[in-house]
Order: sequence, then structure tokens, then C-alpha cells
Amino acid sequence: MNRLKAIADGQTIESVIHQEVLARETVVSIRDFSLFYNRKQALYNISMPIVKGMVTALVGPSGCGKSTLLRSVNRMNDLIESVRIEGDMLLNGESIFAPSVDVIQLRKRMGMVFQKPNPFPMSIFENVVYPLRIDGQRDKRVLMQVCEQSLRGAALWEEVKDRLYESGLSLSGGQQQRLCIARAIASDPEVLLLDEPCSALDPIATGKIEDLIDRLRGEYSILIVTHNMQQASRISDHTAFMYLGRLVEMAETSTIFTRPTLSETEDYVTGRFG
Amino acid sequence: MIGPNSKRSAQAQIAAQGEPMVWLSGGMFAIACLMILSLLAFVLWQGLWTLWPRNYSIYTRNDGSLVGGELYSKHFQDGQNKLYLRVGNYDVSNRHFAYVSSLELADQKPWADPDLWLVERKEWGNLYGFPKELSWTKTTQDHFADQVTQGMRETAKIDRQLAQAKNELKRIDGDIAEARLKIRRVELAEKVDLQRAVESGSVEGLSPAAKRAIEQLADRNRRADDAMVQINERIAELEAKRSGRSILFELPIAQELGTLTAPWSELSAGKLRDVQAVAKLIGVESNASAPAISVEPVGKELLLCKVAVEDQSIRRLWIRRLGETTCSVSGFQEHTILLADVVRFFPTNRLGLFQRLGVYAGRWWEFLSGAPREAGMEGGFFPAIWGTVVMTIIMSMAVMPFGVLAALYMREYAKRGWLLSLIRISINNLAGVPSIVYGVFGLSFFCYIVGGYIDGGPKKAGFEPWPSAVWFSALGLLALLSLVAFAVAVLSGQAEARRSPLRSMLRWAGGLLWLATLAGIVWLLIKSPHFQGFYQAQLPNPTFGKGCLLWAALTLALLTLPVVIVATEEALSAVPNSLREGSYACGAGQWQTIHRIVLPYARPGIITGFILAMARGAGEVAPMMLVGAIPLATDLPLDGEFPFLHGSRSFMHLGFQIYSLGFQSQNSEAAKPMVYTATLLLLAIVTLLNQTAIWLRANLRKRFQSSQF
Repeated sequence: MNRLKAIADGQTIESVIHQEVLARETVVSIRDFSLFYNRKQALYNISMPIVKGMVTALVGPSGCGKSTLLRSVNRMNDLIESVRIEGDMLLNGESIFAPSVDVIQLRKRMGMVFQKPNPFPMSIFENVVYPLRIDGQRDKRVLMQVCEQSLRGAALWEEVKDRLYESGLSLSGGQQQRLCIARAIASDPEVLLLDEPCSALDPIATGKIEDLIDRLRGEYSILIVTHNMQQASRISDHTAFMYLGRLVEMAETSTIFTRPTLSETEDYVTGRFG
Repeated sequence: MIGPNSKRSAQAQIAAQGEPMVWLSGGMFAIACLMILSLLAFVLWQGLWTLWPRNYSIYTRNDGSLVGGELYSKHFQDGQNKLYLRVGNYDVSNRHFAYVSSLELADQKPWADPDLWLVERKEWGNLYGFPKELSWTKTTQDHFADQVTQGMRETAKIDRQLAQAKNELKRIDGDIAEARLKIRRVELAEKVDLQRAVESGSVEGLSPAAKRAIEQLADRNRRADDAMVQINERIAELEAKRSGRSILFELPIAQELGTLTAPWSELSAGKLRDVQAVAKLIGVESNASAPAISVEPVGKELLLCKVAVEDQSIRRLWIRRLGETTCSVSGFQEHTILLADVVRFFPTNRLGLFQRLGVYAGRWWEFLSGAPREAGMEGGFFPAIWGTVVMTIIMSMAVMPFGVLAALYMREYAKRGWLLSLIRISINNLAGVPSIVYGVFGLSFFCYIVGGYIDGGPKKAGFEPWPSAVWFSALGLLALLSLVAFAVAVLSGQAEARRSPLRSMLRWAGGLLWLATLAGIVWLLIKSPHFQGFYQAQLPNPTFGKGCLLWAALTLALLTLPVVIVATEEALSAVPNSLREGSYACGAGQWQTIHRIVLPYARPGIITGFILAMARGAGEVAPMMLVGAIPLATDLPLDGEFPFLHGSRSFMHLGFQIYSLGFQSQNSEAAKPMVYTATLLLLAIVTLLNQTAIWLRANLRKRFQSSQF
């Protein structure tokens, strides 16, 4: 019986999560999470861990809910009036969706990078220290230090150190995306959320971003949504395969790409469908 | 069936080619361009040409009479040329402009006398004539200009001293008026009649405040009497000095002097033998040094005869042929003008191009910076420009915060729904309401109700106040209501209540309660028995209860509010959502996001809307007629006098000035050239504002656009 067909028919299926993933220490653990746009359900009872200090990739065909799940982690979906959720997520053991949580404080503990680079219309320096600025940090020394650290962390320092006060929009697309990553890591987040960060970039810029993600591994816990199977196999430690709002299989990346438990996963990662 | 041989109908053929549509749309485009260009060209031509100094030409009519003037326009009508002449010398001829038909003229070629001077006067408009005598010094033709300039400088000094003296008088008057106001205030406060006490000077049995006020008035009156005698003496002295300086002109308006017997042929050859006869005609006693006479022809049947009298002054005569040996002689009418009335003078027919340019620039400078003379027909438009600018600035300061914040709420905070759509549609429709409607509203609401309330309290604004007890109970109820509203608002903002039906209910209730509180405050203000207005002592003269700068600015603010809201909303909606999301993802709150990301990005659009609103407001005339613009204001709305900005003053407005000058003034035909110049000025101001908007938008957008992707 094909699970994908069962999902399309609206039946519930059991997600397959390999033991090697569950055994590790998690930074975010998603607990039985469902999400609705008005009456339409977009995510179905997803439970999965995001492992600390490693890169977790979310893959799956378009519209399977990868981005929705990612944006739920820092509650960006709150901005949409019609969204309703069930279940919960835990960030280092603390609930994300409990009514008493201050969303603003919660988002400060995470960094997020979007599909299209979205530097703010201000200088490179101000772009990077924006998270500190909104916290009211004014000490020039602290700001400069964080700026340099973050830009070095995003492998952009050498390219922009002489023009920190030029507009962030004067950079190339790839540089802009690295600037956004610098901004995301400026507040030293507990988890880094990357929503298809390379989909708007050319292959060379993509390569640089991938190198960067590889360097950030260990220091940061990263959740990345990607369309590109090769990218997922290159940069991630764990891969979760989603389909129509459900988690189908999650395992170490090498397992998913070489000997997944489910034949559906194999079909998808080898390009036989999707 | 469709192939090379398939037949299509002619109509389909044409439609397929589409060639006629190119011609049709192109033709319409050309016509539109032509209309715009011709409008611009017309205003430019008329506006720029008005102030240019022209030649003063003298024409001879068939009956021998003379008509002279600056040729303003010439058009062909009914088989004749109609000349539109600025004849000037209004105090003698009773007109500024005259139409002359070419059929009336004996000679189509005019005579431009190089000795003729144009004097621009403070009163009665232009004077054209030949200077004959200066009352304060001996002169010759050569030194005329220098001596007049020197004389004008001295006269200006006298004028300054006069103005100073008159200011002192005005100050004394003001002091007395202030003392009277004080008495009136005491009267209102104590409900007593102090008139008798003021007249008799006895202060028995009055309150200390009343005593003080009456004593102050008496004291000021006493001191004023002494000072005024002195000042009036000084003024009389200065006036005498001032009126002692005048210029005698010969105006080119003929006065019959008599006839002369001399053969025409002899005269036209430039000889005049009968010197004695001529001397007698012009009233020069014949003596040893007989006047030297020269004669030159200026027309077929007309001669100009210049008689140099012994003191070198020149008298002019026209000699017109009547028969073979008889000629009629006419002299020029003499006219004296005060030197103090002279604004500018120059020999208009003798000017070279650069001198003309100088006069032209001087006139433009006066037009832009001077005060109006002759009910606005002459002189400058500065008060109108100043009034328009001050009013526009106050209007912008009033409309900007309202418009931007309202749009911000609608775009960033308000929940999308049918109510918001309805409000948005209403605002868009508001932008199309005829402006006179706003004028009517401004007059009846701002001037009469709000202005009346400020002047004399609720009663003056037409409301019956409550009894004191009722009012205070209502005040208590209102305080309670506002407390409840506050509590509900706080409750609805609690995080715990998020996304529950209770919360949205609370939000609605909170909003309604706040509205009720606001209405309650307004109602209490209206019904207050304890407020008698700020300017009650001045009544029945209204202070704010009439058209004035403040109400005009607020009316225009209301008129331009939709423009600002729509423009700001558009600018806000053009901010990419990805920027907002990026900011939220950094942990910024909604206000932080708006303040740091959204507003800076939307700034060019907001400023553009702001400038468009300014341009619209500056050019609006209809509501101005109702709420405060007047044709001639003595005081500027913003000047060096405390408190500098006078919101209760009426003011002059450029757009209104065009209307009142061109169509409402005593001599609107004569004011027409000025109307074109004012139109040009208004057009220039509005174009300048629009151009700034376009430039600003282009420049600021560049900063916020990604260079590459």
C-alpha cells in the first residue's frame, strides 16, 4: 500500500523517525503540531526533533508545508490573522505556543533567513546590529564588536569591512543573503531558521552560502528548508521528508539518501516523483 | 478556410491592420499636447509681457485731437485695427486703458517723443508726460533724473520719519484701547456699569480692580494728550516739507490755446517767424531774449513746436493746419505731482534694451516683494504670496500628522474587513467633493460654531448651557465612563485573552466606549455654563468668529486630508512585506518595525503625497472666499509683531486675488494684465511644488532600491 496515496486520500499515517535521530539532544522538539488556515488544515500532527548543533533539512514537494512548519517555529504565522494551531513545540524545554509566552522575546532567541534576501534600507552596519538596536543597545563599542563578529561569522567581513556605512542594498544578491545571515546570528540565537536561502541566488553565491552553513554547523542549530536534493545531501546532518502536510520519514541524511526505510522516500530523493 | 485567398470583410481587414487606430489615438494625443502647450504659452506670454516697458506712442485722430499710450494689444475686427492702449494719467483722463480704432486715426504711424517720461505713482497709476519744473531746485532736462533721484531719497527719509510718528500715535491709541478693554473685562466680571465712573472720574464705592482700571485709563488719557500734541505738530511739519516737493509735468493732453496765422509751407519747412505771437500764446512775456523756437513735423498735418524759454526749460506746442494760412495751436495740460508719490520714473521712449531689462527686473522684484497699490492693480503681490504660503504651511502642519497617522492605522493596525473597506471608499470619495462644500462647512462650523465658542462661549456659538449642578453631575458621569473605557482597553490588550472571542468583543466595546467618552467631552464643552469665551471683552467684534487664517488653514487641511491619506496608504502598501517579516523575525515589535523599517521606506511616497496636497491647497480658491481671504489686507498674517503668527487675521490669497482683481474690482478691465501675471505666478508656484515632488520621489526611491539581484 502506497503511503503517499493514503496521505492524498486523507488517511493518517505513522511518521517514521529513525532511532539515531531521537537519541540525540534536541534544541526544538515539535509535539503533535497541527496548523489550520481558517478551515483548511496545512500541517497534520507533526512530531519531530531538531537536533542541537546540527543541520536539519526539510525536503518535500511544493506545498507540503515545509515553510509553514519552519515559520511556525518562531511563530511568524501569528502575523496571519486566519491561522490557528494545535499541539506545541518546545525550545530548549520551554513551550513556544503557551499563552503566557511573549512572542517578541521568543523571536529574539531565534534567527531567520528568508527566500529572497531582505536587507533593510539602511547601512550594512545598521543592518547587522538591528536586533541589538531594537533592544535599545547604544554602546558603540558593543555594536561594533557584534557587527564584526557576525559579519566574520557570515564570511562577509573581508568583503565589506571598508564600506560598513554604505547601504545594505548596494551589495550583490549573494552578499545580501550573507548579510541577512549575519543579522540572524547577531543576537546569538538558539536556533537558526533558513527558508530556502539559496533559491534566489546564482550557483556561485549558492556555493558560498553552503560553505557558510557548513562552517556554522556545531556552533548553531540550523533548520533549513530546501528544494534542492543535492543541497540537502551536501549540507545537512538530518533530513525530514514531508508530504502534503505530514512528516513521512526523518533520519540521518546519509540514511535518507542511501537506504531509507520507506520506498516513497527513496522515490522522492532519487527524483522518481515530485 | 483561412488562407491567402480567403476573403475578409473590409471592417475586419481594417481592424486587423489597426492603422486607423494609430492615427486616431495619435491625433488625440497631439490635440491634448496642443491644448496644454497653448494654455502654457498663453499664460506665459500674457504674464511675462505685462511688466515689460513699452514705448509711449502718440497718435493723431482725424479731428486733430491726440491720443497716446503704451500699445498693449492690437487686433483686427470689423475691417479695422483695434488698438488697446494704456493711456494712463488717470486723474486727468479718467481711464487707464482705451480702445482706439485705426479708422479714427489720421496717421497710422505714431510719434514716440524721446523726451517723454513715464512716472509710476503710488496713486492714480502711471503718468506720462514731459517734466517741466521741479519745485525744490532749478533743473535742466539733462539733470532731471539725477535731481529727482536725489529728491526721492530725501523724501523717503521724511516718509520714514512720518511713519515713525504715525506709529507712535498708533501705539498710544492701542494703549488706550487696551485700558478700555480692561474696564470692559471688569464690567463683565463684576456685572457693573462703569461708564458713568469713567466719564466723571469718581471711583467711590468701586472694587479695587475697577478702581485700578479706571485710574489707568485716566492716566493714559492724560499722558496721551500731551504726547499727541507734540506728535501732531511734528507730523504737520513733516507733511509740509513733504508736500513742498513736487514736479510739474506737461501731459500730452491737448488744450486749445488759440490760432496762429502763418503759411503752412513755411511752418513745415521748420521756420516760425512770428515769435512774439507764439510767446503770447504760451504766456511768455516778450523781452530782449526772445524764446528760441524749433519746429519738427510729426504728422502730415501736425507739427511739434518746442519753445526754449530763457531759463532753458522747454515748452511744447502742437500746431495743426486748419487752412492755407491758419493753424490752431494747442498746448499740453500741466499737472503737478508730489515727489513722494513717485515710485519709479524713466524716459520710456529713450530706453535701450538693457535699460528696459533693468526696468523689467525692477518691476518683477516689486511685483514679488512689494505691497499692492491702487487696490491691487499696481504694485506688488507680496501680501498675497505671503498669505498663501503661510496658510499652506499651517495647513500642512495640520494635515500631516492626522493624515499620516490615520493611514498608518488603516494600513498597519486595523483589521481588514468590510468596515475598513467602507471607510477607505468614503475617504476616496471625499477627495472628489467639490471644494466649495468644504468652504461652506468651514464657514458654518469653524467660523461660526468653533470661532463663536472661542470668542464668547457656548451662548455665542448657539448652544444653551446646562445649569451648573447638571453640568457637574455630567462631568462626574463622564469621568466614570472614561475610567471604564480605560479598564476595558487595558483588559482587551492582555496577552492572556489573545484570539478568544472575548478579546474581540472587548476590543469593540473598548472602541465604542472611547468614542462615547470623546463625544461626552465635546458635549460637556458645548454645554458648559462656566466658559464665557476668551475674547468676550471684544464682542460684538468677532476675533475668531469670522473668516481668518486659522480656519482657512483648517478647512484646507480637511480638504487635503483624503489626498494625504490615500498617498500615505499607497506608500505604505508599497513597502515589501519581506522587510516587515525580516524585522519581526529579528524580534522587533510592531511599532519598532513601523518606526524603523516601514516609515523610512515609505517616506518618499509620503512626502510626495504631502507636496501634492500642498499644491492642491495652495491653488484652491473657492473655499478661501468663504473662510478668510480678502482682497486687501492691511496686516500680514505672520509678521514681527508679537505673537508673530496672527491666526485671527484675515489674509490675502493669490488665487482669490486673481478672481477679485480680474472680476470684482472697480476697474477690472484695467486690472486684466495684472491678472495674467498673477496667474503666471500661481502656476509657477504650483508647478514648482509638483516638480519638487517628482524630483524628491525619484531621488529618495533610488536610495531604497536594490542595485542588483
